[in-house]
Amino acid sequence: MRVLVIEDDPLLLQSLAASLREELFAVDTAADGEEGLYKARETAYDAIVLDVMLPRLDGWGVLAGLRPARRTPVLMLTARDAVPDRVKGLNLGADDYLTKPFDLDELLARLRALIRRTSGQTQAVLRIGELALDTAARRVELAGAEIVLTAREYGLLEYLALHRGEVVTRTTLYEHLFDENDSSLSNLLDVHVSNLRKKLGRDLILTRRGHGYSIA
Amino acid sequence: MTSLLHSIRWRVQAWHAVVLLAVILAFCAVTYRLAWDNQLRRVDRAIMQSERELIRSLVDLLPASPVTGKPEPFSPARLLEHLRATRPVVPPAVASRFQGTEPGYNYFSIRDADGRVLLQSPNTPADLAIPPAAAGSFTDDWRNVGDRRETLRRNPEGMSSLFGADLTPEREEMRRFAWSLGTAGLGVWVLGLLGGWWLAGRAIRPIQVISATATRIADGNLAERIDPSGTDSELDQLGRVLNASFDRLHAALEQQKLFTADASHELKTPVTILLAETQRALKRDRPAAEYRAVLETCQAAAERMRHLTESLLVLARQEATGPHGPREHCDLAALLRDTADQLRPLATARQLTLETDLQSAACLGDPSALAILATNLVANALQHHDRPGGTVRVSCCTEDGRATFTVTDDGPGIPPKHLPNIFSRFYRADQARTGGSGHSGLGLAIARSVAANHGGTITAENLPVRGARFTVTLLAGARPPTR
Repeated sequence: MRVLVIEDDPLLLQSLAASLREELFAVDTAADGEEGLYKARETAYDAIVLDVMLPRLDGWGVLAGLRPARRTPVLMLTARDAVPDRVKGLNLGADDYLTKPFDLDELLARLRALIRRTSGQTQAVLRIGELALDTAARRVELAGAEIVLTAREYGLLEYLALHRGEVVTRTTLYEHLFDENDSSLSNLLDVHVSNLRKKLGRDLILTRRGHGYSIA
Repeated sequence: MTSLLHSIRWRVQAWHAVVLLAVILAFCAVTYRLAWDNQLRRVDRAIMQSERELIRSLVDLLPASPVTGKPEPFSPARLLEHLRATRPVVPPAVASRFQGTEPGYNYFSIRDADGRVLLQSPNTPADLAIPPAAAGSFTDDWRNVGDRRETLRRNPEGMSSLFGADLTPEREEMRRFAWSLGTAGLGVWVLGLLGGWWLAGRAIRPIQVISATATRIADGNLAERIDPSGTDSELDQLGRVLNASFDRLHAALEQQKLFTADASHELKTPVTILLAETQRALKRDRPAAEYRAVLETCQAAAERMRHLTESLLVLARQEATGPHGPREHCDLAALLRDTADQLRPLATARQLTLETDLQSAACLGDPSALAILATNLVANALQHHDRPGGTVRVSCCTEDGRATFTVTDDGPGIPPKHLPNIFSRFYRADQARTGGSGHSGLGLAIARSVAANHGGTITAENLPVRGARFTVTLLAGARPPTR
């Protein structure tokens, strides 16, 4: 999952990015509204964390510039918890909001819920045959036994599971698994898929030659 | 009852009742008196008419002059003599006027100087009293005796003639008049009371409105105001005075609210950083270097909070002190030199030159507050400068009897749309939190507060070419500085 964090406070930006990376998100950052809007338009993020008070272009401006072209879910961070502020954000197309100071766990839970909802899932635990994928705890069980996955493997599996039944191209996968600072080669994807097949069984992930991968 | 006594409306009404009653009573008394006098005059005219008729009839009876055979000129003496001599009979037409004792009857009695009756009507009251008169004088008296009105005339010859009339019908009429007067007066009084009650209610209705509005405001509806009637009445003026007070209180309260909201808003970001970092760090075990990084971030956030709370305290103290803080004579030049020395490391770090042009300028004030003012202005200029190699210049002098100092820079200047607001709390021209720079958004607000407390002014302007200038004028010291 790849998310964009737009926050002008360098300390908070750095802290949020670090937290999200530890939770296996690919994280891009922007320190002002204009940069944030540019990135949000250029890349298909799975979610955007957007602060309201930003230099150059505030959070409302970013939202206005983003909608309706991009339907990326947006979680707004606001220091003001007055109802009009929240209503304004939601009316402008924000999907959720959090008031500062917030709990890190709440931010993560809301972000995951947003991503899940956007891909049409409502449960935190995705079940595919004998496979159970707990997106909240980031645990994978096969027939009741926990399978240990690397961050990349987990991200790949989660993305495919969330888009179950669709063929996901390699480019899309690459976009959603690696952040802007990552220069991994795209053939690494094949390595991760191969590793997943070893751990979870050969039939789980199908290869559509020339198109991409999918989970049936 | 006490509440009735305390009600303005009831008290106004009570006084109104007393005054109105007194006025009505006085009016009735005067009216009654005038009416009575009028009655008496009418009776008097009637008496005089009867008297004239009687006398004329008596004169007609006087014998003609034996010499000329013509009636002689009338004189009272002749009449007296004739009466004494003949005891004439009054002609019946005239005598009928002086008969009976029905209400309103007339009577007369004519006597000589010795009090002997010469001629009198048969209905003359028995208690008729004619006081002895001084002889040789002419008198004409009117008097009331019981229910009778009488006139008594005497002539120098001693003849006294008394004519009278019974006043019983007039008395009766006056009694009826008094009743109607009293009833009318009572009616007017009651009407007056009703009108007064209505007027008093009308007069105090604005007070009730003001009171109700003030109660609602006291109950927390601070935005409400007393609705002025648009006239310039006393109550309107009171309403305006109260509205002005409410405005000031409301503004102060709003400012306080805004301040609290801003302060908590500003504190929320560092608190968020502290929470996010500590929660992240505690999720799993980490190498020491990562813990160190987390702690450094937390420290930076905590330092930002410390700076903010210190600034808030300074500002709160400045606003609490007002214009009554400690005052001593000090030299702006020395004060600014210290400030410049303290900030030179910051200037060096930002690759700026800090120049000073300080002429001794005596001023009266609190040196520690003035030092904060100077530090904030110079630090502000240094922090907002965008070009390494630039210059910040601090100068002071005495100008027009006021101690003046300026901080001039050749930085980016202040965008004109932000100029009016830069002294507001937490106002930032770029809408950005400057994060780690330790800038709280309160520096210029504190500067303005200090300047205002010293009876001075602070202004900001952009220079024509590039940069900005802050000018502070303060009250000059009363005597030359000692140092």
